[in-house]
Amino acid sequence: MAQYGSANVKAAEPDRLSAFGSDVFERGRERRFFRAGAIDMPFLMLTMIILGIGLIMVLSASFARAYYETGNPTKYFVKQLFFSGAGVVAMLALSKIDLKFISRFSFPLLAISILLLVVVPFIGVSKGDATRWIDLKVTTFQPSELAKLAVILSFASLACKSKDKMKTFRYGILPFGIILAVIVGLLMLEPHISASIIIIALGAIMMFLGGADIKWFVMLGVFVGAAGALILAKFGYAIDRIKIWQDPFSDPLGKGFQIIQSLYAIGSGGLLGVGLGQSRQKYLYLPEEHNDYIFSIVCEELGYIGAILILTLFALLIIRGFWIAMHAKDRYSTMVAAGLTALLFLQVFFNVAVVTNLIPCTGISLPFFSYGGTALMLQLAEMGIVLGISREIPIKRAG
Amino acid sequence: MAAEKKKAEQKANTQILRRTLFLLVVCGILAFIVMAAHLYKVQVRDHEYYEQKAIEQQLRQTTISASRGTIYDSNMKVLAMSASVETVYISPAELKMYKENPEFIAKNLSEILGVSYDDIMKKWQDTGSWYKTVAVKIEQDVADRVRKFKNDNKIKSVHLETDTKRYYPYSSLASQVLGFVGTENTGLEGIESRYNDYLKGTSGKIVRAATSNGTDMLFTKFENYVDAKNGNSVVLTIDSNIQYYLEKHIEQAIKDYAILNGGMGIVMNVKTGAVLGMATLENYNPNNYQEISPKAKEKLAGKTGDDYLKALSEAQISQWRNRPISDTYEPGSTFKIFTLAIALEEGLVNEKSTFYCGGTVSVPGRDTPVHCWKSAGHGNQTLAEAVQHSCNVAFVNIGLKIGAKKFYDYMDAFGFFDRSGIDLYGEGRSLWWDRGIFENPKNLSQLAAASFGQTFNITPLQLISAVSSVANGGKLMKPYVVSKILDPAGNVIKANEPKMERQVISQETSKRVCAILETVVNGGESTGANAYVAGYRIAGKTATSEKIGQGSNDYIVSFVGIAPADDPQIAVLVILDTPDPKTGIYISGGIMAAPAVGKIFADVLPYIGVEPVYSEKELATINATVPYVKNMSVDEASKHLKDRGFDVRVVGSGASVTDQIPAANITVIKGTQVIIYAGDAKPSSMVSVPNLYRKTYSQAKSALEAAGLYMRTSGVAASSSSTIVVSSQSVSSGSSVPLGTVVEVTLIQSDTSVMETRG
Repeated sequence: MAQYGSANVKAAEPDRLSAFGSDVFERGRERRFFRAGAIDMPFLMLTMIILGIGLIMVLSASFARAYYETGNPTKYFVKQLFFSGAGVVAMLALSKIDLKFISRFSFPLLAISILLLVVVPFIGVSKGDATRWIDLKVTTFQPSELAKLAVILSFASLACKSKDKMKTFRYGILPFGIILAVIVGLLMLEPHISASIIIIALGAIMMFLGGADIKWFVMLGVFVGAAGALILAKFGYAIDRIKIWQDPFSDPLGKGFQIIQSLYAIGSGGLLGVGLGQSRQKYLYLPEEHNDYIFSIVCEELGYIGAILILTLFALLIIRGFWIAMHAKDRYSTMVAAGLTALLFLQVFFNVAVVTNLIPCTGISLPFFSYGGTALMLQLAEMGIVLGISREIPIKRAG
Repeated sequence: MAAEKKKAEQKANTQILRRTLFLLVVCGILAFIVMAAHLYKVQVRDHEYYEQKAIEQQLRQTTISASRGTIYDSNMKVLAMSASVETVYISPAELKMYKENPEFIAKNLSEILGVSYDDIMKKWQDTGSWYKTVAVKIEQDVADRVRKFKNDNKIKSVHLETDTKRYYPYSSLASQVLGFVGTENTGLEGIESRYNDYLKGTSGKIVRAATSNGTDMLFTKFENYVDAKNGNSVVLTIDSNIQYYLEKHIEQAIKDYAILNGGMGIVMNVKTGAVLGMATLENYNPNNYQEISPKAKEKLAGKTGDDYLKALSEAQISQWRNRPISDTYEPGSTFKIFTLAIALEEGLVNEKSTFYCGGTVSVPGRDTPVHCWKSAGHGNQTLAEAVQHSCNVAFVNIGLKIGAKKFYDYMDAFGFFDRSGIDLYGEGRSLWWDRGIFENPKNLSQLAAASFGQTFNITPLQLISAVSSVANGGKLMKPYVVSKILDPAGNVIKANEPKMERQVISQETSKRVCAILETVVNGGESTGANAYVAGYRIAGKTATSEKIGQGSNDYIVSFVGIAPADDPQIAVLVILDTPDPKTGIYISGGIMAAPAVGKIFADVLPYIGVEPVYSEKELATINATVPYVKNMSVDEASKHLKDRGFDVRVVGSGASVTDQIPAANITVIKGTQVIIYAGDAKPSSMVSVPNLYRKTYSQAKSALEAAGLYMRTSGVAASSSSTIVVSSQSVSSGSSVPLGTVVEVTLIQSDTSVMETRG
């Protein structure tokens, strides 16, 4: 213990130590529905600031396409505004709800997610080659988004249940592996590579947090690294996605078009940007400019400085999220808060990495920025869960 | 046990804290450093590269093509003009982008434009291209149909682009002078090329920021507009009517005398040097300048591949050649005008001088004597007679009197050594003996030959410019074809004033030369008699020269005329290259070129306002227009016709005229019998035209009258001479025509005295 320098902290806080050791399902009999502790203001503020900037950027980025394609320049913005309002209400509401209550829905939610993923190929709506959406009339909804939340909640529950046996393969790897295999298998039917990657990464992080033996991660890391290197070496250039990643200009009007347009936008921004609302790439050059590629428009309009400022806000939010996780009252809360923060991170990282061509192209939206009603609402709801966890942090620690 | 469990719990708790902290560092700090670093690379380090690329695609440059200036003739009739047309192009890249149906578009475009469906389908395959031309220079109505198709079907991969097309309303008229315009609005020949800088204008452009669809960006009104400046217009000295007469009569001569290598001609205002007409036959149609004549095509038959392309290109270059300024030729006897002028100017001969021609004359430095074309010799002749006879012997003697140095100096003064400096490209360079050789006192054979126009080459333009100087009082004028340049608003921005190069001979000499040259045409039996036009005083000189080194039967025949002889205004030169000896027509300038010049004068002189003055003799034979006498009483009609010099025959017994032959307003020779029908119907039978070739004036007239046809004349009009015969008739013999049809005959002087030297 001593070598980690945390023995003193724990000695001074016996409550917390026991909290970590308790089982949420055993202690859940107290049945508190609402929680009344103080909300974590830094986390809330950061969320609201990012949401505000994101809304402005949706307006700016979607303006041109909305005008040219629907005649109503604020069409997407108004919709996004409505969903963000609803999302903020959901966030605040969820922050009041006891995590123990939410935890009961872990497995039902997982079951519903899997069920929805099963039916999506049959009842879903298609965009391009993929069928990922369920039409809710007012908006569309991606079951994969729900699956991410379900994975966090259910993995946290599983890990807490078998916390002592997490080092074993049977309890520490197998059940998680089966759930992931089912979800990813279903996602591949859509197909939905980006969601698969995120869910795999998310699952791995949850297992890591839950205490799975590091050797599995090392083994997985070695295997994935070796397989990846082999595939790259042998077929790298034959795989379109890789080829375009390495040289977008090999097919400038086809598969490389989107990433080239994104790079044009980002590169045009330079250090200081062309000014808010002044993007030229949004004039129908850059596809998905208010969805997956909104960050490119942010870079173009606000420049490197603006982009770094926004990334810093995200970094602060993520750091604060993990901070809340570290200070959560029990193991389950820690895992859920850390998992949700990790999910936020994965979304931000993959989105930025894709639009800047750091990794091969795939479709991942940027939290709070990308246009999309249900995804935004769900994100805010997830933030609400983290905020709810923050309420349970003992006052003196939270201060 | 409890302690152990507690310890294990503690271990698990510290583990999750450690692992969360690990994630905090990796996800919250390290990953963001990676992102920031990579973003720096793309956004800051490579900023300029991507910005440049982005701007390239965001800015659209539209060229506003300037309208090319108009070319006008001297009466402001349009000879060349530009009109808007459109180019249709397709964008395979956009077809792919918008997933449009290539077959559907190709099918419709091929229907509208008449372009092959397969060609369009082939063009679609180049999917990287944004610009594949489907049809160029299409007319507005066709473009509108394409536009409608495009709009109706919301097609994004088909585009139209405005362009201009050059039109030449008179098609082949003056084609070699006008030239034509190639791609990119660049004049390639003639005026179009020489005055390209004035005509072309400056194209403008619009540079603007556009959306991917090409529409304007909202709020981003970046637009840079550079106005197109339309081209200036060029006004020629060439008069399209005169040009037409010139071409018409040369063309007729080419047909009549089976000229093998075409003809050329110039009409010049002798006082200013302005070119009123300049023709090369055959000509081509500048609206379709690459199309070669059927005759030229025959020569290409059987050729393939590179041979074909080379021959085609040669045929094209040859048809574009403005021969009167580009070709050089040995002028022959027309050059005697200058020998005469120099000798008169220098006082070496006068009108009373006599020359004896015994058929030959020996020249220092020549082993054999120079032969006159008439081997028997012309005997004793006055100066005027020597000119009329085009006597070589007399002119060799005159040349020898002038002396080589003086002669050579005058050649220089007449401008034969230099290019004239006319405002057209492609002027040929004359070919002369060096002064040293020419002036060698031991060998005067060059001087002797030059005295009657041989052993050197000049351009037709040089000849007519020098002739003009002889005619206008001795002033050598610089020839020009453009009188002024107008800006698009019509203001004169540049005017070509007549420019005198130098005074070559005196005013008086000029008058004397013209008077002598007039006898060549109106001297009745002289060489130039065929250029005679009733009512006009025409001076001139014939020439027939052998084409050096091209076979003994190839000749160039020519005639240069000046009118009116007493106050010269215009000069006309017609050159016919290589008459076909197989026709049997005697090959000479007097027989072949002089009638053409006469006809040109007959058309041009009244046109430029020179009133004819007829002699008694002429009045008897000139043509007159039949008046309208229908509905008049028979007596009244008879009197009316008789007053105008017509004979009258009445058919029928009615009181008033019901019909007449010939019809009113038809021109026939005076004294023709007009038949008036009083009640009786005009017969509508057809008659056969008799052969009039070689018939004299009266023989021809009676042959026609016997057939119930009428005669009108052109060419020599002296009816009394038995040596004047018909050389051609407007309706060929044997053809069937309605009774009373007028047949125009061309009369020429057939006496051997018309035939002059062949060198």
